[in-house]
Amino acid sequence: MRNPLDALSREDRALAIRHLRRPILTSLALLALLAINVTLGATLPFEQVWIVELLVVTVMASLIILVSMETLHEPPLVKLFAGIGFFWVAILFAMTLTDYLSR
Amino acid sequence: MNSRGAAHHDGAKVGIELAHHFETVEQQRYAATLGIWAWLLTELLLFAALFLTALILRVTHPEAVKLATGHLKFWIGAVNTVVLICSSLTMSAAIEFSRMGWQRAMVRAMLATAGLGTLFLLLKGYEYYADYEEHMMPFLSRRPYELHESPASRLFVNLYYVATSLHALHLFTGIGLLLGMTWMASKAGFLSRHQNWIEVYGLYWHFIDLIWIIAFPVLYVVNR
Amino acid sequence: MTAGSIDAGLSGRDPHTPESTLDRPRDYLHAQSTLRSWFLTTDHKRIAILYLTSITLFFIIGAVAAGVVRLALVVPNGAILNNDNYNKAFTLHGVVMVWFFLIPSIPATFGNFLIPLMIGAKDLAFPKLNLTSWYIFMAGALFTMISVVLGGIDTGWTFYAPLSTAFSNTWVLPALIGVTIVGFSSILTGLNFVVTIHTMRAPGMTWFRLPIFVWTHYATSLIFLLATPVITVALILLVAERAFHVGVFDPAYGGDPVLFQHLFWFYSHPAVYIMVLPGMGVISEIVPAFAQKKLFGYKFVAYAAIGLASVTFFVWGHHMFVNGQSDLASLVFSGLSFAVAVPSAVKVYNWTATIHKGSLRLDTPMLYAMGYIGLFVLGGLTGLFLATLAINQHIHATYFVVAHFHYIMVGGTVLAFLGGLHFWWPKFTGRMYNESWGRVSALLIFIGFNVTFFPQFILGYLGMPRRYATYPAEFQLLNVLSSAGATILAAGYIFPMLYLVYSIWWGRRAPGNPWQAKGLEWETTSPPPTLNFITPPKVPNQPYDYPIKVTETGGTPA
Repeated sequence: MRNPLDALSREDRALAIRHLRRPILTSLALLALLAINVTLGATLPFEQVWIVELLVVTVMASLIILVSMETLHEPPLVKLFAGIGFFWVAILFAMTLTDYLSR
Repeated sequence: MNSRGAAHHDGAKVGIELAHHFETVEQQRYAATLGIWAWLLTELLLFAALFLTALILRVTHPEAVKLATGHLKFWIGAVNTVVLICSSLTMSAAIEFSRMGWQRAMVRAMLATAGLGTLFLLLKGYEYYADYEEHMMPFLSRRPYELHESPASRLFVNLYYVATSLHALHLFTGIGLLLGMTWMASKAGFLSRHQNWIEVYGLYWHFIDLIWIIAFPVLYVVNR
Repeated sequence: MTAGSIDAGLSGRDPHTPESTLDRPRDYLHAQSTLRSWFLTTDHKRIAILYLTSITLFFIIGAVAAGVVRLALVVPNGAILNNDNYNKAFTLHGVVMVWFFLIPSIPATFGNFLIPLMIGAKDLAFPKLNLTSWYIFMAGALFTMISVVLGGIDTGWTFYAPLSTAFSNTWVLPALIGVTIVGFSSILTGLNFVVTIHTMRAPGMTWFRLPIFVWTHYATSLIFLLATPVITVALILLVAERAFHVGVFDPAYGGDPVLFQHLFWFYSHPAVYIMVLPGMGVISEIVPAFAQKKLFGYKFVAYAAIGLASVTFFVWGHHMFVNGQSDLASLVFSGLSFAVAVPSAVKVYNWTATIHKGSLRLDTPMLYAMGYIGLFVLGGLTGLFLATLAINQHIHATYFVVAHFHYIMVGGTVLAFLGGLHFWWPKFTGRMYNESWGRVSALLIFIGFNVTFFPQFILGYLGMPRRYATYPAEFQLLNVLSSAGATILAAGYIFPMLYLVYSIWWGRRAPGNPWQAKGLEWETTSPPPTLNFITPPKVPNQPYDYPIKVTETGGTPA
């Protein structure tokens, strides 16, 4: 199959790259972070490695929400909608664990 | 700005057709964005409740969870994560093309996204089949369970099925919606009337990806 | 215009020029009359009427179930219903009343009808989604009724494991699936309201000019979105447990039945605020109108609504004090439960302060509102008893709890529903109901309700457990009294169904604003045209701009 990029004029190709730069870089970052987690999971270098793994997950999730889903550029109300769910998840987790961690 | 809300200057007609109950296109666009985020809020809480259940099991029976995790298909899960990350890239590309007015490129990117999503489901299906072969489907009461000496591991494995099949259900319906939307989006004039549908749908697709980005480590990695 | 005369423009004695109808667009009720135009409508007002009809149907089913329960409890030895059938009766009553009546009642009927009108919009943000939510509601509710037709379920509306998962021989699975489906209807309604209130307010309609009704429905919608998914998971896990024995609620497999309760009550406690907040919104509209006085402490009431919707998520464990959760968790949940009473109290004080020195008209809506305030206070105070750990040990799972929540759900929400139904009936239908019948019914309901439920506080205090088909003989007198009250209550419910329906065809035609109330819904015709306003409404500078104004410190402004 011919490379579709060849069919584009030079201006169009530059335009496409300009628009696609952010998604491409984000995906590469996500793949790199995934590689870190997969390596840690496969090699298990130390006992508390799960803390690092969860931190990596947090970074990946933040990248998706802030960059891929563009909340960084959205008005404050949209940012609030995006963030408030996590706060409510925290309530669910914290209050339930109050029971299970103190039994 | 006219009622079509043409947003781009390089000649491509990209915009939104104003619905009768809205006053302006900006209002309509904003409402759609808030609406999809409100929906995603509910999806986040849905999966969070499942992850909480897994967490509580981890807190109360750590050894059983570790044992069960060792029998999950780590590498298939990892490859599937790569597949979804790539599908998010193609979905983002579709959004960008929709903003640029490049309808054909957008349709191809949407089809690629659906294709990658289907690849995920195929790999998952293969994974489930392999689990079945290895006697790791404890909810099938007639089939002897591999780790029967650890009853709590059975629960963790069952939770793995509930969580991943719920995610797969979302992915499956997502692909269905995507294909339907792709069909509509390939018609002439679509981008001048419903450009923001692609963006709204894209948020949903990214979110399904996000859930898997969390689910893969939580189920397959951190308990090893 | 004299404040206090609802007959201005209505009385047969005063010469009254009816409003001009030439060149007026047809109202929403008469614009089209095919079945298709009703069942495929996207007009929020018609969807509200669809919901009104269906929740009334479910109310009747739930009320009949209650009647069966009260009938059975007339004798202490279970001679009328055996244990299994008794369990099925109270389960049917609870499931239908909670999920198919109370939760949708005010939001899906009044909220759907009034929110666009109150904010000056033409419709909700997503009209087709609105219709979809009604169909989902009907599909889920009817699906649940399948299990009733097949013989009923006996787990209680709370579906606790392991009874629901391992021991019940009844048709639990269809009921679980049906309730899960209905949950999506709630979520979509909440989504629609939240987006509408954020994005579709008319120019000049700032947040602090909105009626409290809108504030409380916004708060309710937040709860719809944030709480419902968690019970969806709880019910899915119940289905998985019952169908496949996954083990999540079975200690033999590392599971925990208390986990079900955590997930269930994380939703179901905020759910009771879904059932309460809209009623508070209704009362906040009725009281100023029938005192012709500005709502006292508007901002406090608005913030209290948001406060309730937030703090309510922190208290669910007070349903589980005796069920095996840790002492620390119980302490935390108990303390926070005291905190959640504060915003409710704020609202009650503000309504009372609004009534004080107002120009009162004791028409039917106001009778319901005043009944609400009194009964809600009683119900709310008894909640504090239940939140106290030491007392809870003795009254948990007794009739004290039953009385507590009925004081709030019936004495509160149902009264608010009926008050609102009478208040906005002219707006919905363009007709006035018969005021004398309205007052008689309100009185019957108030009396019947108290005769039914006050004895239950005493029964609970004396130790009678709930959900038992039999009871010690010394409790019979109070039980018979309670059942007798239920017959009075039933009469009180039946009369409005008759005279309201009668008024649709033969009631006096209503003007745009029969109550001299404030609010944009009263600035349009009764009933409104399909697109709500003939001319774009002018947003007033302040909400509740009634003739009598009192400042926050109690003086009258110059």
